[in-house]
Amino acid sequence: MADRYSFSLTTFSPSGKLVQIEYALNAVNQGVTALGIKATNGIVLATEKKSSSPLADPSSLSKISLITPNIGMVYSGMGPDYRVLVDRARKVSHTGYKRIYNEYPPTRILVQDVARVMQEATQSGGVRPYGVSLLIAGWDEGILPEEEIEAKEGEEGKKLSGKTGGILKGGPMLYQVDPSGSYFPWKATAIGKSATTAKTFLEKRYTEGLELEDAVHIALLTLKETIEGEMNGETIEIGIVGPPAHHLLGVEGVEGAVGPRFRKLTPQEIEDYLTNL
Amino acid sequence: MDTLVARYSRPTYTQNELFTAQEQEEFAAGSTPNLSLKFAMPPVAQPSAWLRAATDDRSNPHCPIKIAHGTTTLAFRFQGGIIVATDSRATAGNWIASQTVKKVIEINSDLLGTMAGGAADCQYWLAWLGMQCRLHELRHKRRISVAAASKILANLVYQYKGKGLSMGTMCAGVTKEEGPALYYIDSDGTRLAGNLFCVGSGQTFAYGVLDAEYRYDLTVEEALELGSRSILAATHRDAYSGGFINLYHVKESGWEKHGFTDTNPVFWKTKLEKGEFSNVTSDFSEEV
Amino acid sequence: MSSPFSINGGACVAMVGKDCVAIACDLRLGLQALTVSNNFPKIFQYGDNVFLGLTGLATDVATVSDLFRYKVNMYRLREERQIAPRTFSNLVSSSLYERRFGPWFVSPVVAGLDPKTGQPFICGFDSIGCIDFAKDFIVSGTATEQLFGMCESLWEPDLGPDQLFETISQSLLNAVDRDALSGWGAHVYIIEKDKVTKRLLKGRQD
Repeated sequence: MADRYSFSLTTFSPSGKLVQIEYALNAVNQGVTALGIKATNGIVLATEKKSSSPLADPSSLSKISLITPNIGMVYSGMGPDYRVLVDRARKVSHTGYKRIYNEYPPTRILVQDVARVMQEATQSGGVRPYGVSLLIAGWDEGILPEEEIEAKEGEEGKKLSGKTGGILKGGPMLYQVDPSGSYFPWKATAIGKSATTAKTFLEKRYTEGLELEDAVHIALLTLKETIEGEMNGETIEIGIVGPPAHHLLGVEGVEGAVGPRFRKLTPQEIEDYLTNL
Repeated sequence: MDTLVARYSRPTYTQNELFTAQEQEEFAAGSTPNLSLKFAMPPVAQPSAWLRAATDDRSNPHCPIKIAHGTTTLAFRFQGGIIVATDSRATAGNWIASQTVKKVIEINSDLLGTMAGGAADCQYWLAWLGMQCRLHELRHKRRISVAAASKILANLVYQYKGKGLSMGTMCAGVTKEEGPALYYIDSDGTRLAGNLFCVGSGQTFAYGVLDAEYRYDLTVEEALELGSRSILAATHRDAYSGGFINLYHVKESGWEKHGFTDTNPVFWKTKLEKGEFSNVTSDFSEEV
Repeated sequence: MSSPFSINGGACVAMVGKDCVAIACDLRLGLQALTVSNNFPKIFQYGDNVFLGLTGLATDVATVSDLFRYKVNMYRLREERQIAPRTFSNLVSSSLYERRFGPWFVSPVVAGLDPKTGQPFICGFDSIGCIDFAKDFIVSGTATEQLFGMCESLWEPDLGPDQLFETISQSLLNAVDRDALSGWGAHVYIIEKDKVTKRLLKGRQD
């Protein structure tokens, strides 16, 4: 009975638009700004942690999440929707990949799986689109031999150092996913309230062959342009994809075990970056 | 009363013994001649049922003792005598236990027997048949007829019917009175005279070739080739036949052996020179 | 005797060499004692350097090989890259365990070279997906005992491609000559970094 009355909320308008999706994008554009920058040896994700009251405990709030050991995610828009997507992304990375291939999905595969979840919310009955845009950053292992990558890059006249990312060559990848389910790979981008300002700033500061440390620096400078409150270790959140963090392995001495590449910076680490700004 | 108790208080297995304790000891000491017809029976209530459970892979696929089966044997009568041919493979389950089994048993210089089914049964009873034939000769001062020899064997296996003997054998010989004589005897007690028999797991394949080409007026050379070719066909298609082709020609003057030939060169020669076995590729050029 | 694994017969073996691997199979397809076909290869290719050998029930060999063709094609379309041998092995394992309570009656063998490092990779599975990683050789089929015997005595570490071909060929040929349900010719693949060589072997036809 119930399904007789459960119409799709996202219905085409006569002009061919899906206005529900546009409204969802509006929700994103009111959200706190988040940004991501890809470097040669890693990626940085950054956002502002805004609390509505000085009485709130900011240490319990977390907007950047680990999805797989090498992939992390940040959002702009509706927090509750984001947490649903984090759960779905973590789950699908296992059911749709790790339980089949005994390895974690490459970034693009995970992005496509999350994008499918978001697209389904635009075409299913009884649901509304997710009110978030996501930045997903990850490191891919790749399958090409090292020499071959260097040979190829040599041919194309590019720099020999660092990987450019992707399933074949391996390396860092940064994607944005929107409520419609569309996704884009970026070198650097921003989403949320001040996305336009931030992107203009990033266009000026971004250079090819950026190192991770520089990227963190640029991320903080960009955030500084757009931030509304005070900037410190408590109000800023930073996640990085970098070299394997062996200190985060729970058990030591396991042969072949590699630490997670994605980790969040501690407030102390953020403070250290801020003092050097 | 005490005597009754004594009689029935023996262990149950001794009650079922077919032989006295003294006889059992004689077996152990080996003092009795080996070709006697006294066999130690397993000390169980139903020896034949027990044996079937332990050795018959058709009634019990998981039987612990796998008796060698799987064979192709053939024999046929023609104007020049009788051709007897066999393969030489012995299998226990899927394991190829031997590729060099002699499945033609030379009962004496005139009579041949073939071996299919239980190798030990065939070997033992055809040796025993040789002894009976020799006794017949000594008693009657003349060679035994093939009919009589085959009947001795048939009667013997009939006595053991149901006890698990497994044999499918052919007796071939040429006598003045009978001419070329060929009999099929199996452990069910069947005894048949005939022109042409194939026995064993590969019998159908051998029949296929043999029936197609067989004539009574075959020359000796043609007959030998046909026997060999029929076994070759069977070794190709039957998994439990293979190894060597064992070929005999039985004449009135006795039997004559025509080789124990590896099937492998014969197969490729037959294929390449006569264009047969076109189902098998002979193109071994390297592929990328 | 009527186990689904030994109705049709067949044998497969994979071996590690120095910077190369080899995989070989016989060609028989039978119905118990009756040899129906002598051209039933049991090795399938799923990438430049990824090979799968399947022995067991022939109908499942055909179905499972096609199932992996489908799964690997989907993987290539989705990921825009070839599947690596280790990833493929995990796919085989999880796919087989999906049928835990009604298994495919096959014993798969995977052989290949890791695309990133060029390291030889072989492994075998039981019919419900337990992986057996091996540094030397993997055998499967109705001639496993015979193959183990041959491989244990002939195999040695760091064989070059030509020596490896000789070793795997002799192991397979002599093993199937002691198995009633395998043989009737063989296929051998030698897998090197930029080259795969396939050879047909002339075996006994009995």
